[in-house]
Amino acid sequence: MEMAPHRRSFLQAFGSAGILAGLVGGGLLRPGQALAVDFNRAAFDARSAADALRLIGATAAETSADIVLKTPEIAENGAAVPIEVISNIPGTTRLSVLVDKNPFPLALQFNFAPPAVARFQARLKMGESSRLRIVASAGGKHYTVFREVKVTAGGCG
Amino acid sequence: MSDPIKIRATVKGSDGEVRVLLPHPMESGQRRDAGGQAVPAHFITSVTLSINGRPVIEGGLGTAVSANPLFGFQFAGVKAGDKVAIAWLDNKGQRGNAETVFAAG
Repeated sequence: MEMAPHRRSFLQAFGSAGILAGLVGGGLLRPGQALAVDFNRAAFDARSAADALRLIGATAAETSADIVLKTPEIAENGAAVPIEVISNIPGTTRLSVLVDKNPFPLALQFNFAPPAVARFQARLKMGESSRLRIVASAGGKHYTVFREVKVTAGGCG
Repeated sequence: MSDPIKIRATVKGSDGEVRVLLPHPMESGQRRDAGGQAVPAHFITSVTLSINGRPVIEGGLGTAVSANPLFGFQFAGVKAGDKVAIAWLDNKGQRGNAETVFAAG
């Protein structure tokens, strides 16, 4: 999988697909642009939901009915469990997803700024039946909702 | 190199939706190959979505996001022709990016 150095630098300079070259030439893309993401990677390395919640500062999250979590009650394929999360809490700037029983419970976090709304769809791996937990951050406070999801064929193997 | 990113942006009124598929193995590091060797973790760690050049969604990803991540995002107050760019970075330092514009749907 290791690429020759000149090949890699070419890809970094011009994007991953030939069709993008025109866009780059036109100045529409800025390849290699640093991603301004400041997530706490230690939280992604946490091996328990309690540790992950502590590292994202959400241990005191209060349960809220204003977070909508749509997910199947029974997931036939743990390799791709569809979820949709909608926060109706005004000023939501971050949504975090945890799968309590996964080896690394923190699955993903999204920050939102207008015109993006605090809502997304994604697909998760679940190794076994587990609590699925959402944390919404708004105005320096944390809110949570959770649901048990049954997995009939695990997706972490 | 992997397949190109698939990205689609549609707008109805001022409400926009972006669906994006990022081809990537998203290896969790938990899996063993046929020979019993652990397959090293290889996964996207961050994603940025920009509208007209300004980042508006930043994502931090762990190994529990499914292979070939498929995301849907919603927007309020966008119009046809607004530019949408997505960029990702993985734990090996590899990157990908793609761009499109909102189209009336």
